[in-house]
Amino acid sequence: MATFILRRILLSIPVLIISTVIIFWGMTEIADPLSSLRLLPNVSQQTIQNIVDRKHLDDPWYVQYVFWAKDLFTERNTTALGNNPIWPDLKRAAGNTVQLIAISEVIAITTAVWLGVQSAKKQYSVFDYTTTTVSFFGFSVPIFWFALMLQALVTGLFLWTGFRLFYTFGQSSFDIASQGWWAVLIDRLQHMVLPITTLAYVNIATYSRFQRASMLEVLNADYIRTARAKGLSERTVTMKHGLRNALIPVVTLAAINFGGLLGGAVITETIFAWPGMGKFFFDALSQGDAYTIMSWLVVTAIAIIIGNLLADIAYGWLDPRIRYD
Amino acid sequence: MADSVLEIKDLVVEFDTTDGVVHAVDGVSYEVAPGETLGVVGESGSGKSVTVMSALGLIQMPPGRIVRGEVLYNGRNLIGLPIDELRKIRNKEIGMVFQDPMTSLNPVFTVGDQIAEAILEHNASATELEARKRTIGLLERVGVPNAERRFDQYPHEYSGGMRQRAMIAMAIANDPAVIIADEPTTALDVTIQAQVLDVLKDATRETHAALILITHDLGVVAELVDKVAVMYAGKVVERGSVEEIFHAPRHPYTLGLMMSLPRLSGEIKKLLPIAGNPPSLLNRPAGCSFHPRCRLYHGREICRTDVPELPGGTTAAACHFTSEMAAELEREAAEAGIAAEGGRIG
Repeated sequence: MATFILRRILLSIPVLIISTVIIFWGMTEIADPLSSLRLLPNVSQQTIQNIVDRKHLDDPWYVQYVFWAKDLFTERNTTALGNNPIWPDLKRAAGNTVQLIAISEVIAITTAVWLGVQSAKKQYSVFDYTTTTVSFFGFSVPIFWFALMLQALVTGLFLWTGFRLFYTFGQSSFDIASQGWWAVLIDRLQHMVLPITTLAYVNIATYSRFQRASMLEVLNADYIRTARAKGLSERTVTMKHGLRNALIPVVTLAAINFGGLLGGAVITETIFAWPGMGKFFFDALSQGDAYTIMSWLVVTAIAIIIGNLLADIAYGWLDPRIRYD
Repeated sequence: MADSVLEIKDLVVEFDTTDGVVHAVDGVSYEVAPGETLGVVGESGSGKSVTVMSALGLIQMPPGRIVRGEVLYNGRNLIGLPIDELRKIRNKEIGMVFQDPMTSLNPVFTVGDQIAEAILEHNASATELEARKRTIGLLERVGVPNAERRFDQYPHEYSGGMRQRAMIAMAIANDPAVIIADEPTTALDVTIQAQVLDVLKDATRETHAALILITHDLGVVAELVDKVAVMYAGKVVERGSVEEIFHAPRHPYTLGLMMSLPRLSGEIKKLLPIAGNPPSLLNRPAGCSFHPRCRLYHGREICRTDVPELPGGTTAAACHFTSEMAAELEREAAEAGIAAEGGRIG
């Protein structure tokens, strides 16, 4: 197992390098990264020339790449116009998104696994039909609509009762830091509940469908009958012999999804004004700075590579047939 | 028989399907004594497996349903037993070997752990280490080489024959009084089949367990069993000792099975398959289920209207015209060139 993990990690390194090359080449070579600046009448030719010198834009793209890659995670990785460092903001955004994603994924996986297992065990029961209906609602509903409805609900509740249960906007209240760490924690949680609910709901819908399907398949397997014939309790049969096999698809899916989500729950973060990766990307796009977008792409690529690595490790841990060495 | 360890009495099992009720098992009775081997023979879908699965509560209910009947283990009825009581019987008293060793072992646990699990489940005082030692002993007993190392291997590292040996080790892990083997060699290579049967035979002999061997392989029956129950369309149509079944079948279906069996000795010039197909269990022919395919039918009305009863006793056949079988055998022997006393076993 150790060699298996080590090899997967070593394999990720060239993948990461190649992805940064593709990102850089795609963003700088296909179109001039300064094209939008050149169109602005209030940006002088001298300013443009300064940026060209600073970013080595007169050199071939692979030389530019080396200069860019060297400074990627430092203060010297700056925007084209204004020379503002990108990395500190990006780091903060990534941290905020990790908070959101980690909590919502943990909630989504545990809930979905439980729902899927129960649905499969009680196939075609009222519980199963209810779960199926609610899941399909989660699939079909546009995420922005669901988020807006949550906001409307919580706002309506506030206007009606005067009691502020959750916040619908931002990450923390103004001036909360002066009221002690306990108040800060409660305040943060109040801000997190709605975006987490939005993200978790959609993922629960997907994961629970997968869990139900794989559990149904597993429960009909011959080895489940063997386990019963051994005299094991129904709980051991389903939870040990069944679930261990039925988890394989869902865990793989969730781990890959985790990487993708880190790159941006763009809609959710924008609606709830959560200062995370999604909002960072949205702002970077509207400002049109190629260097900010490239930095975001690299962090997202890293997240997806880590997600895939986690999927591989989880898969190998669950299924011994994968652990070839 | 008073000294039987497992006795199935008039068992009726049905399955509800969207097309109607499937009468999978319809009044099956048979029994085995300690140390005795019973072969249950019949085509696919004749209810052989469902009978034993129902006995241990291993069929899905619903859609399955045990309509009536008893399964007496040492006189105690297993049908209707609470699941926690039944669990104490499974593996501890009645061990099972399933058909397909490729899928019957859980791919994500080591073979050793899966066998040890059966020991730990039924011996509250046993430690993991004791269970491990006993499992290694069991693996050695069923002929798995390097048992110590093999304990920690996963099913995908075992060959088919080795997996079936492991399944047998699991079935005998708690020295059960009855071993049920449901087509244990069907999924194996012919060369491996004989070895696995030997293992099964030795395991049964050592533990003095009764063995119920479910198979459609008459060669296996001839080699291993003491007595036979022939099943057709959910019913036992004939029972008797293995010699009687092979030499003097009393039911035309049994004769049909014998005629369709190839023999190395070349005593039969031509294989004669039974005409037609097994009936649908949703919609069986009225009267004797076998009559549309039967050589003795000759359009007689009683075959269409009355279901023939299986008389009691150790040798019996459920046929209205079993008395005509002797003449039929002689005619068949003359025609097909079998020696007058019938085909040689095996």
